[in-house]
Amino acid sequence: MREPFRKICLFAIAIFACLFCFPNIQSFGANNVVNLENIKGPKIKDLYMVIYRDPDSQILALETGKLDVLGDIIRPVDIKRLSSRDDILMTLSEGFHIFFLGFNLREYPWNDLALRKALSHAVPRKKFVRDLFAGYCLPIYTYLPPVSPYYEPDVTHYEYDPEKAKKILAKAGWKWSQGGLLIPPGSDKPLEKVSLLCPTAQAAPTTAELASRIAESFSSLGLPVELEMLDFSMMIKRLDKHDFDLFVMAWSLSRDPDNLFAFFHSSMDTEGGYNIQGLHDSEIDKVLEDLRWAPDKDSAVKAAKEAQEMLSDKAPWIPIYSRYMISAIRKDWKGLTFSKKTTADNIWSLLNMEPVNGKMRPLYWCLPEDPRTLNPLAAGSAYDWAVLGLIYESLIGTDPYTLDDIPQLALKWNIETETHGTKKLTKLVFHLREDVTWQDGALFTSEDVKETILFLKKHQLPRYFDQVNNVVSVETPNEHEVVVTLENTSYWYLHNIGGLPIFPAHILKNVENWKSWRPERQENPKDPKLTQLVGTGPFIFMEYKPGEYVHLKRYDGYWKNR
Amino acid sequence: MIKLIKNYWFRRIVGSLVVLLVVLILNFFLFRIMPGDPVSTIIDPHFSPQAKQHLRAQFGLDLPLYQQFYLYVKSLVTFNFGQSFLSQKPVWEELRTRIPNTVFLLGTAFMLSALLGIWLGVKAAQKRGSALEKVVLLAGSISFSFPSFFVQLVLLMIFGWAIPIFPIRGSLSVPPPSGMAALWDFLWHMTLPIFSLVLLGFGSWAIYVRNLMIKTFSEDYILLARAKGLPENKILWGHAFRASLPPIVTMFLLALPGILSGAVITETVFSLHGVGKFLLDSILGHDYPAAGAAFYLLAIITIICNLTADFAYGLVDPRIRLGRKME
Repeated sequence: MREPFRKICLFAIAIFACLFCFPNIQSFGANNVVNLENIKGPKIKDLYMVIYRDPDSQILALETGKLDVLGDIIRPVDIKRLSSRDDILMTLSEGFHIFFLGFNLREYPWNDLALRKALSHAVPRKKFVRDLFAGYCLPIYTYLPPVSPYYEPDVTHYEYDPEKAKKILAKAGWKWSQGGLLIPPGSDKPLEKVSLLCPTAQAAPTTAELASRIAESFSSLGLPVELEMLDFSMMIKRLDKHDFDLFVMAWSLSRDPDNLFAFFHSSMDTEGGYNIQGLHDSEIDKVLEDLRWAPDKDSAVKAAKEAQEMLSDKAPWIPIYSRYMISAIRKDWKGLTFSKKTTADNIWSLLNMEPVNGKMRPLYWCLPEDPRTLNPLAAGSAYDWAVLGLIYESLIGTDPYTLDDIPQLALKWNIETETHGTKKLTKLVFHLREDVTWQDGALFTSEDVKETILFLKKHQLPRYFDQVNNVVSVETPNEHEVVVTLENTSYWYLHNIGGLPIFPAHILKNVENWKSWRPERQENPKDPKLTQLVGTGPFIFMEYKPGEYVHLKRYDGYWKNR
Repeated sequence: MIKLIKNYWFRRIVGSLVVLLVVLILNFFLFRIMPGDPVSTIIDPHFSPQAKQHLRAQFGLDLPLYQQFYLYVKSLVTFNFGQSFLSQKPVWEELRTRIPNTVFLLGTAFMLSALLGIWLGVKAAQKRGSALEKVVLLAGSISFSFPSFFVQLVLLMIFGWAIPIFPIRGSLSVPPPSGMAALWDFLWHMTLPIFSLVLLGFGSWAIYVRNLMIKTFSEDYILLARAKGLPENKILWGHAFRASLPPIVTMFLLALPGILSGAVITETVFSLHGVGKFLLDSILGHDYPAAGAAFYLLAIITIICNLTADFAYGLVDPRIRLGRKME
């Protein structure tokens, strides 16, 4: 009798959860497939990136039509409110984000694989996501988020199963005291209290609450956990010095999986290194090296798959959830591009957007903070690049549907590897578009690409250091071909170099001090109506009013517009 | 020389300079004692430890501490505050763009809430037990009990969304108008933030002044003034209020430096470009040049206000004028 009753209850809970707790996906826009080749533009004449700092005022502005585009919406209450409106289109994509719990593998008991596996089974990820994020996050079990082109779903999953967790521990010789505390194999004393580092509730309320629930889950298994909430700087200092038992943290990732090398290779277990948990495993090291120095995509895919499988088996983290990216756009605009992998607030939408009623007007786009700097040589924050990314372009772009490489300033490219004695070299050959001009009228040539790479390499700009550090030479056989030679072989070199923003050589040669360069304030040598902040991108910088807005204007000579 | 040393104002100014020096030294060391530095808080797997080392060198954090201290003192004494670590812009430029908004917002709100609060406090004390006093006490208590973000968001909801007569953000329209219209546009944008701060600030003034005035009204000289048949207004403003002025002046002048330190919550809710948010970001981001300069300026203004308060006592209360002996 009890079993059917339990099943009925579980079924009722599941129905309730689907109806009320998980996102109402129908209220979100599905894939909107537009042929990228057909996109000409931009159609918008004036783009104002308006600074709204407070999330509540962002929502009010969107509802009253003072804003047209609002990206990166986090709070479930805002998502629900906006998705219930008829005049707003919500789009959702999986994010390059991972939230996890890490162990200090340098110390006992965390170096005990059975304990880590058991604890991985003790975390109710789905419940956390439902309770804390109203379902607007994705519970995860792997070391890359599902949106990654290198995501491998077929790895060891640690589903929530406290009974299985207990069995794993019992099998490994762990016992329980009369008070229910865990006793390690070969010992008769229960484990002492351990600490779980997390940011303070004031700084990150949801993370603090999540950490507290994880601590409860571990305690119910017999592991006494105490939360240690710290200021973020203090927490980082403790992690840098490896002074911790457990910690929770999130990483923002990119589409390339080579950051697994930074997180798990033993050479990265240094003070301040990103292998915070201190994993040392020669087999995993070998696979991560194969991943980092993969000569082509096939090898990269194979190494990424193996790395994820091995990491799941060793359980150095407990991956918990990955954020969705959610954006909202007023429905009085059409021509949007979005997919499961890209929300509608992207460059392709910006190129193609126009008012539904046909009467052109400025587009108001939300910037949640001021750009810190408009000097592209020093810029680092997402808000800086939200603006600069519309002015400067790179050699290779990203397909919004597949996240594959697509031509941008380079029409095509190829990768060659060469061996000189014991040295291996990678040669990247980029064939550039011939119809591209800078916003001040100068012709875009291979010289611009060469000068950009050499400038970044010569001045060792911290933000670009890792991307150009291995460059040996840059040659320009003709005006529309660039050959970049790099030490060693790595498939990721293509993205390192192909993803660099390209700056105009005629402007770059006049930069005396890159740190204090203020291109947005200096007159353009070719066109006095413009500043030195000119790129090949679809929008021209017009004005920045600190604290208020950034005004960009359509670049009529944009290559996609021809 | 001895006469100069014995001079009260000379000693006060020298004392203030010593305070400034202590602030300057503490500013340097306190920020460096805090855990982490501007580079260690960059948590990005694409930013290798080697790249971080380059960034440290760019900020001058690889120099010996005494050399960093020398450069720090030199930058503050010459008022050339150097470059912000976070924005790479001159710190002075960062502050210069923010100070006008902050001073206008907080200065106006401060003056209005002080004037309104003082006037209501005096009237409430004058009419004890009346409905006016009850209203002032209730409104005053509510005014300073509510959290500012709540009041401001409610105001935004009412006057920016439900009855949209005021803008939701910033200090100017996008795109901004030109000429005289720009001034009106600015005032229109600042109305709601200033109103919210007055609403939040007048209560403490009103209750404080009411209590002071009630105490003063119980003094014998007020009874004597009434017995002499002086007009009520003369007793109220000429005797009772004047006698209560020194603590009010002290409170007023000590609160003045706050006008420059900004209001983080108000600036965030109304998306205003102000000093408060800048100061908070500088501290959280370990932006030593920016935070150091802002605290240095605040220390200077606080010291000037303290000196002004000393001077103002003599003006408002003849009993404490220097050199005047009891007769």
